[in-house]
Amino acid sequence: MYTLFYILAYLAAAGFVCLAILKIRTFMKTSPLHIRWELYPIPHEGPKRAAYGGSYMEETNWWTKPRHVDHWMDLKAMGKEIFFLESTFEHNLPLWIRTYPFHMGLYMLMGGIMIVIFAAFIQVCGVSPKCGFMIFLGNIINAMVLFGSCMMAGGGIALIVRRTTDKGLHKYTTREMYCNLGAFVIFGLLSLCAWVFNPDYFTLCRRLMYNLMTGHFKALGSGWFVINMLWGFALMCWIPVTNMRHILIKYFMYHDIRWDDMATVWSNKNKDLINENLQFGVTWSAPHVTEDGKAKNWVEVATTNPADDPNASK
Amino acid sequence: MKDDNITIEDVSNVDGQMVTIDLEDLPELPLDYKDMPWKPFTPDQKENVACILDDVCVLNIPVPKNPQEEEELVNKFLEGMRKLFKTDNNWTCLPMLESSMENCVQCNSCSPACHLWEMSGKNEIYRPNYRSEIFRRIYHQYVKKEPFAKWRYGDMNLNWKTIARLGELSYRCNLCRRCAQTCAIGVDNGLIAREIRKLFSEELGIHPKELHEKGTMNQLKVGSSTGMTPGVVKDNVEFIDEDYSEITGVGITTPFDVKGADIMLLHNAGEIMAWPENIAAFSLIFQEAGLSWTLSSKSVAYDGVNYGVFYDDAQLARIALDHMKAAKELGVKKIVVGECGHAHKAITVLADRVIPYELQVPRESCYVTLRDIVLGGRLKLDPSRNNFPVTLHDPCNVVRLMGIVKPQRDILHKIAPQFREMPHNGVHNYCCGGGSGFAIMSRNNIDEWRGNISGRKKMQQISEAFKDCLGPETKKYICAPCSNCKGQIRELLEHSDLYAKNSFAYGGLVELIVNAMSNVAPGYIKWESDE
Repeated sequence: MYTLFYILAYLAAAGFVCLAILKIRTFMKTSPLHIRWELYPIPHEGPKRAAYGGSYMEETNWWTKPRHVDHWMDLKAMGKEIFFLESTFEHNLPLWIRTYPFHMGLYMLMGGIMIVIFAAFIQVCGVSPKCGFMIFLGNIINAMVLFGSCMMAGGGIALIVRRTTDKGLHKYTTREMYCNLGAFVIFGLLSLCAWVFNPDYFTLCRRLMYNLMTGHFKALGSGWFVINMLWGFALMCWIPVTNMRHILIKYFMYHDIRWDDMATVWSNKNKDLINENLQFGVTWSAPHVTEDGKAKNWVEVATTNPADDPNASK
Repeated sequence: MKDDNITIEDVSNVDGQMVTIDLEDLPELPLDYKDMPWKPFTPDQKENVACILDDVCVLNIPVPKNPQEEEELVNKFLEGMRKLFKTDNNWTCLPMLESSMENCVQCNSCSPACHLWEMSGKNEIYRPNYRSEIFRRIYHQYVKKEPFAKWRYGDMNLNWKTIARLGELSYRCNLCRRCAQTCAIGVDNGLIAREIRKLFSEELGIHPKELHEKGTMNQLKVGSSTGMTPGVVKDNVEFIDEDYSEITGVGITTPFDVKGADIMLLHNAGEIMAWPENIAAFSLIFQEAGLSWTLSSKSVAYDGVNYGVFYDDAQLARIALDHMKAAKELGVKKIVVGECGHAHKAITVLADRVIPYELQVPRESCYVTLRDIVLGGRLKLDPSRNNFPVTLHDPCNVVRLMGIVKPQRDILHKIAPQFREMPHNGVHNYCCGGGSGFAIMSRNNIDEWRGNISGRKKMQQISEAFKDCLGPETKKYICAPCSNCKGQIRELLEHSDLYAKNSFAYGGLVELIVNAMSNVAPGYIKWESDE
């Protein structure tokens, strides 16, 4: 029975990683190169320009100048978005009040997992679980789990209430969204129960992680904790297949679309990709595109004048 | 149907016209602005044309005559939708589309950013997410055929009415992408609206005639969406040169087809017909600044218009290619794009990854070129000639979508002593209401829609900018350096007679520069009271 629990843990971790990679890979493979669809302000234009939303295209003969990308500004903007939910704060404060604690709770638990992995790893390397440093880590984790689970459950409940009571939101909230939020609320509550009914949550987490790393499938000694973890395993596999996957894709939606202002003049790779893309076959059926749906490539489409064809404007 | 009761499913289930916008629900404006009553659809339209969404009808989709035709429309739409999600047919936009389809968490943060939603009295069908959500449900249920799609994403009955209304809904968006700016995740409802337009155009051959037949097809056929052939353009510009030489007291000669010139200037040809003072002002400024420049008289290349931006990738690529080829043939160092927002975006940003690099010619915004001329001291300027209140409208395509914000302001600070910003300016501007092709459409209550709803926010901004000097006593200038935006602002002012009631004049940036040129006869900008 214990073995099954540990196998589920491995499967959940593998499932999350595989599904996350699959989703990211699917996104990356949708097009070798899409058109530029940037939206200003773009932070990597640097603090001066980003402050008012300016771009390199404000410069005379911009294509003759070297490209400057301020990566620090991108990181800063991303950090503000991830850790402060800046857009929601600015544009939807009533939602932010509810979603901020929810997200912070989630981040605390995610961050907690990282610390626990680290603690188990140094234990594997020979550091005693009773040493001062481990106790220090334990205090951090115990605090994070207490605050994180309360914030996640509280924020989740507040979001559900908001979605049921706000007319506009209610129309757009699907059953799955309620289930997603409910699943996180349950996870938060289970974490809280496991924290309350056990003397030291960190020790349980560290043991679980240590056992997973060393292959010692031993009992953990807490029913609440096991239920808590089983629910968490299910959530790990569920996140990448729902719209909660924005956790994974958001980075690309910002960096590869909204902030992708790379002009072709500066990218030899893009110069090649444009020519490759233009070889894709086109099967759109409207007469002005392909004349009765006969496939052409994009070069042929772009170099054909449909106005020469009397049927095309119909 | 009352707004409060409108649901997503209604788009499939309601018979007849789904929504009518009560003019009483529209926000009031501080100006003496007249709302425009909706004209009822004729019995013939009601019977034969799918005018079944709101008081407007853009696409004129024929009502299917029998169940077979209904099924055919649905199947063709689904076939198009499948193609839309294939890399080969839609490599241009698929990553943006797919990520916007999959990752929206339905928080509706985008709604307050949309001028259409706000100025329609917050009508449900104008929420940026309303059409997107319909499209998403169809995608999950009928294209991807995901297990439990009805439960997971919400059920969507798919019939001809859904298709017809979705098509219309894609034309209840100015594609300004202000909503996308507010999305924490990066979802872009403007992109989804354009993709639906693309599907209708490239698969079903359904498009507004002003954008397609009279727009891109006309441009590809005779050389310009205005219908002007190369010969007519040269003649008209020659007339403009003569007229404005007389008006300004400075001899103007607009050069055509000068091989090896530094600059090929790309105007929106609509300016030649509707705002010749803009053409003359450019010629005068470039001439007086001593630039090496030319216009092209090659077919398509004397008209910077590219309506493909609004609805069709194939047309977009064809026109952009013709522009580049003309510039290559002339051997110019760069194309400078005139005062036309969508032309800026088409040739500078979108064409950048559509046209092979070997065929590209560098592109620069006229605002940048003009900034260098004005700040570089290449003109004799007397800013006191512009000593009247001036405000600036930011064309979405140039500002939010290209990040060209400061050059036009640098010019205005130099030449307009009473320049003041509108509220929500720069990249946070609002669309004029004529964006994405609406400024050139005029039928089936489209004018009324632009006046009552889509342009309403702009009028609110203008009245806020001039709140200290409203009324006929003070002459005021609305600087709208974009052809489509000017067209829209002209309609808004004309309809309520705000030229006389409020002493408004509107125009571009170049007119204001020429108005300040001390070697030009005074009074280049005209107010109604001057005439």
